[in-house]
Amino acid sequence: MLTFTLRRLLLAIPTLLVISLVIFLLVDLAPGSPMSEIPLTVPPETRQKMIEALGADQPVFVRYFLWLRQFFWVEPAYVIDHWFGTSWAEGEQRILSWQSRSPVFTIIGQRLPQTMIVIGTAYLVGILIALPIGIYSAYRQYSLFDQGGTLFAMIGFSVPTFFSGTLFIIIFAVWLGWFPTKYDTTLNVTDWDSFLKQIRQMALPVMTLGLANAATISRYMRSSMLDNMTQDYVRTARAKGMTERIVVLKHVLRNSLIPVVTVIALGIPSIFGGAIITENLFGVNGIGAALIGAIHASDLPMVQTLAFIFAVLIVLFNLIADILYGFLDPRIRYD
Amino acid sequence: MKMRAALLGAVAVMGLAPAAFAERGTDGEVKLTFPQAVSIMNPYLTGGTKDIYASSMVLEPLVGLDPQGVMVPKLVTEIPTKENGGISEDMTSITWKLIPDLKWSDGTPVTADDAVFTWQYCTHPEGGCSQATKFEGIASVEAVDPQTIKVTFNGPKANPYTAFVSALSPVLQKKQFEACLGAAAPTCTDANNMPIGTGPFKVTGFTVNDTVSMAMNENYRDPAKPAFASAVIKGGGDAEGSARAVMETGEFDYAWNTQIPPDTQASMLAAGKGQFVVAFGTLVERIEMNMTDPSAELPEGERATAKHPHPILSDIKVRTALSMAIDRSVLVEVGYGAGGKPTCNVIPAPDDWASDNTACLTQDMEGAKKLLDEAGWTDSDGDGIRDKDGKKLHLLYQSTVNPIRQDFQALVKDWWTELGVEVELKAIDPGVFFGGDPGSPDTFQKFYADVEMYANNSDSPDPEVYLGQYQCKNAPSPETQWQGENINRFCNPDYDKLYAELGGVTDVAKRQEIAKKLNDMVTKDSMVVVPLVHRGTLSAHSNSLGGVQINAWDSEMWNVADWFRVK
Amino acid sequence: MLDAQPQPLVQVQDLKMHFPIYSGIFRKHTGDVKAVDGVSFDILPGQTLGLVGESGCGKSTVGRAMLRLYEPTAGRVIIDGDDVAKLAPEPLRKKRPTMQMVFQDPQASLNPRMTLAEIVSEPLDEHTNWTRDQKLERVYELMDQVGLNRRFVNRFPHEFSGGQRQRIGIARALALKPRFIVCDEPIAALDVSIQAQVVNLLEDLQEKLGLTYLFISHDLSMVRHLAQRVAVMYLGRIAELSPSKDLYARPLHPYAEALLSAVNEPDPELAARRNRIILKGDVPSPANPPKGCNFCTRCPKVMDICRTVKPDLLEVEPGRLVACHLYTAAGSTGASEANERNQQGETR
Ligand SMILES: Nc1ncnc2c1ncn2[C@@H]1O[C@H](COP(=O)(O)OP(=O)(O)OP(=O)(O)O)[C@@H](O)[C@H]1O
Ligand code: SF4
Ligand SMILES: [Mg+2]
Repeated sequence: MLTFTLRRLLLAIPTLLVISLVIFLLVDLAPGSPMSEIPLTVPPETRQKMIEALGADQPVFVRYFLWLRQFFWVEPAYVIDHWFGTSWAEGEQRILSWQSRSPVFTIIGQRLPQTMIVIGTAYLVGILIALPIGIYSAYRQYSLFDQGGTLFAMIGFSVPTFFSGTLFIIIFAVWLGWFPTKYDTTLNVTDWDSFLKQIRQMALPVMTLGLANAATISRYMRSSMLDNMTQDYVRTARAKGMTERIVVLKHVLRNSLIPVVTVIALGIPSIFGGAIITENLFGVNGIGAALIGAIHASDLPMVQTLAFIFAVLIVLFNLIADILYGFLDPRIRYD
Repeated sequence: MKMRAALLGAVAVMGLAPAAFAERGTDGEVKLTFPQAVSIMNPYLTGGTKDIYASSMVLEPLVGLDPQGVMVPKLVTEIPTKENGGISEDMTSITWKLIPDLKWSDGTPVTADDAVFTWQYCTHPEGGCSQATKFEGIASVEAVDPQTIKVTFNGPKANPYTAFVSALSPVLQKKQFEACLGAAAPTCTDANNMPIGTGPFKVTGFTVNDTVSMAMNENYRDPAKPAFASAVIKGGGDAEGSARAVMETGEFDYAWNTQIPPDTQASMLAAGKGQFVVAFGTLVERIEMNMTDPSAELPEGERATAKHPHPILSDIKVRTALSMAIDRSVLVEVGYGAGGKPTCNVIPAPDDWASDNTACLTQDMEGAKKLLDEAGWTDSDGDGIRDKDGKKLHLLYQSTVNPIRQDFQALVKDWWTELGVEVELKAIDPGVFFGGDPGSPDTFQKFYADVEMYANNSDSPDPEVYLGQYQCKNAPSPETQWQGENINRFCNPDYDKLYAELGGVTDVAKRQEIAKKLNDMVTKDSMVVVPLVHRGTLSAHSNSLGGVQINAWDSEMWNVADWFRVK
Repeated sequence: MLDAQPQPLVQVQDLKMHFPIYSGIFRKHTGDVKAVDGVSFDILPGQTLGLVGESGCGKSTVGRAMLRLYEPTAGRVIIDGDDVAKLAPEPLRKKRPTMQMVFQDPQASLNPRMTLAEIVSEPLDEHTNWTRDQKLERVYELMDQVGLNRRFVNRFPHEFSGGQRQRIGIARALALKPRFIVCDEPIAALDVSIQAQVVNLLEDLQEKLGLTYLFISHDLSMVRHLAQRVAVMYLGRIAELSPSKDLYARPLHPYAEALLSAVNEPDPELAARRNRIILKGDVPSPANPPKGCNFCTRCPKVMDICRTVKPDLLEVEPGRLVACHLYTAAGSTGASEANERNQQGETR
């Protein structure tokens, strides 16, 4: 297993380098200019000066190698300096956002907690809702409950989050007034009151995303359960005279979870990627909102860095999913 | 008009509300929300209005502009004029006197050196200062004494009130920004995000593209202000969400730029929690006529250049007919509601500067048809499309991707089709359209289309700079890497001559007269620019927020020190 | 002689297993797969009944329905005094230790995420209150009985060979000391060399533990020396049920005859007498069986009556039950001496 992991990690390095170049070229070729948000009242000469100040007029390969150096050398060095008080990164330019002129990693650092908390919770809530629905739907296939579960999943799949989110806002914020519509990033959870406040402001985005997540995962769970339920070993368990609870929860469920766990693991990078629409709608300043803002403003360093981190996470979680699979399913061994 | 009534209502509420004699910091927190989040608090490194407005609560210019576009002193004792000796007789210098004992929010005194530094900061060749035009034509800025700032121009300057006027050009603290000159400017993250200023608030927390947290400035010059102890600006989302947070859920006190469809405006107003206010500046949604031939058959380098006049639109009768066929009030109703009004002017405001050009406001389809007949464009083959010399009257009409613009394109296409014009529509990503990339065929400057629609405005009440766009020399062309503001390639020596004259006139009434003439020359006299809608910025504030005076000439938060909680 | 005859341990009476077919978006009930359609037989304690027939004729379904692994549509399954087909869930669960099954596919019937020890001892968790050590001791004992090395106790099913897996399946079935075991083609998935080992193992166990088997197979030669009596199934029904030596010597039912003609006959004398009968056509679908005799579409001796009237399973010779019009009064050329006998042949 260890050699397998190491081999895969080594293989990932050239892959990621190629990915980073492809992303860089794609992002660079995308139409748009960092100046497109500047009002027309700013004259062309000034615009040109501003572009030069950003370094955006440099040839693409110069910028790519600068970025590589910054990403793989300056930023880690900066972190090391920060921890151990060394001065490796002294005088080195960190990756700066064109839009805000702040270091990209500072922005990511500011935003990651919200994304993790809100989107992560939504993912968790989605899973917690999805598993029982999927399990029971499969166990009582074609029952009223199963039909209801199917309807729920269809809605979750097909209703876009900007629609469900807006609907939730109108119902829960405008009519009922239970929850705020805008996420307050400055809120510090220090006591019971502020904790409740945090829960309330998370309610709407978590609901919106949780619904979408639950829909997908419940379907996976259901079909995986159905696959296993008709297997001979389940019949064996029944023949053994095991109670129905043990048959379903121990035999069927444990085997059905293998592919579901993999799907869940593969979905984790998307937590980091945030939820562009939901974050924007509820003012959650997460990674997704940062990405879309950066794309609109043609903030190349920001888009490039985020996209690359995203690629790294995808590669990483693919590996983790594989390892998990081997861990959960004794039939699979990587040697 | 409904909006007028609402505005008057707002004024009445303000008038009746007990004046804010309260002490400083007694009204708690004021919460603002912007649909676009604040990226940076240094207006010199950004062009974004969101950033400029946010920073205006912290950083201040020497003088601001009031809702009528009239200057009001902020950091100076009075507005320098020729009469009071603040402006030299030959118009080559202006001298500002700082209020005595003025302090930065960190308690250190504000001196003339700070203004001198600000000038150096923005004019540094490597700094990439976005407000460089404000300092154009300045030979030097000197500190005569700690209280006196003398700005000397390269020559006589008709409008000397550009540097240090309005939120676009505030004074920075030298001590904080000293190490941030030139190429180092973007690297001063802390200073750029949390600048020290003289305004009613100071930044206490800043998360990029999300939230600005502010506390009242203990050293603010008026000891009774601000009424609010703290302020927060939350950004992100969309216009509708921002409006809703003020008008329906009451989570926020003020929402800037809540441009939403007219019917949504009405339903939100019905919730009774707040009201909309509109700042009418000079923003005009217009159709620009291409005076050069954008045909793809022309060789690259000659396409859309003065070498080849436009085969159809060069005829003023065609241009006039196209304008006459449009019903501008329908456009307003569909797209903007209270946030817009029909106009025929490029300079629609302030009132004293706007021409009384109203002829285009009534649609005249018959008249338009007659004009096209006269111009020789007739439907000779009966297919509903006019033609002349075997050429169809076909126009490519481009704009940016934007729901209102697509509605407008559809409506205008209908009218023009009725007129017998074949119209092809095109919508371009705004990032590309306004991006100015000389390599892209789709920028508004390249204008590879017959007509295009967008909005533009003058950033000061005095439109001199803005009118300068239409000089012959400003036409974008391959030689200028397709930069230049004279999008139409309009070229009229009379216009250039009159414009040059404007530069030498200091008498305001005379300037207004010339500006109106120039406005008419590009609109009703030539129909090169076809104005459609005078657009305001729609903002929303809750009924519990008092003191709001919407302002199109300066930051909307220009008088945030006077805002208070209605009890 | 009559009173010396012991009571049968297993009695199956008119067992039916119909799987409903739903179709359309509203899942309307449009028909049934009649996988088992009225099957009756009984098995004496310590004996083996062979159940043979082509693939898809319903053999596994009989076994599963008997053990209530399917809910039978109709019929009675009396095992050791209880009607298993009607037991309520809890008593059924309590009943399960007496009746077990060895499955057709040894790989699929073992939970891939459980080790041998877990698989074998799980029923002990449920049905005994032994200590861990007691259970482990029992696991070892069973492993010895089926000839598995004790070292393998913590291995997962996929780490075994096919034959070893089937031994695990058998050990598992034995764990609760059952009296009756359904062996559903326990050797079909195995190598010929290993088949004999497993069959011998089953025989040894039967001898040692006094087990009663229903031995399902499509390999007639294997059944021959394992089973005292053999039932031949065709399309959900029993065609012939005879003592195995009689059946192999002289099959009565035309289908049994055809089936046996294909089997390699070790006795050259018998082999010489036999000529291979090749059946034409396909087996009809159990969802839509023929109106009369199920075999009428392929029977070489088909008569008119066969297409309209279903023949009952009747005792035509002592101890031999056949469902064919050739042997009924109604059949024109049938053996007229056929005794009208009760289907179960209880009075034998
Ligand atoms: N759960 C089910 N639903 C519907 N039809 C079924 C089901 N199980 C079995 N059948 C059908 O019932 C018939 C008998 O199946 P069964 O598995 O009993 O055959 P078999 O005699 O054991 O065959 P094999 O020798 O291949 O194991 C087949 O036609 C099969 O398609
Ligand atoms: S009943 Fe008729 S069809 Fe059926 S087996 Fe006998 S002879 Fe053949
Ligand atoms: Mg079978």
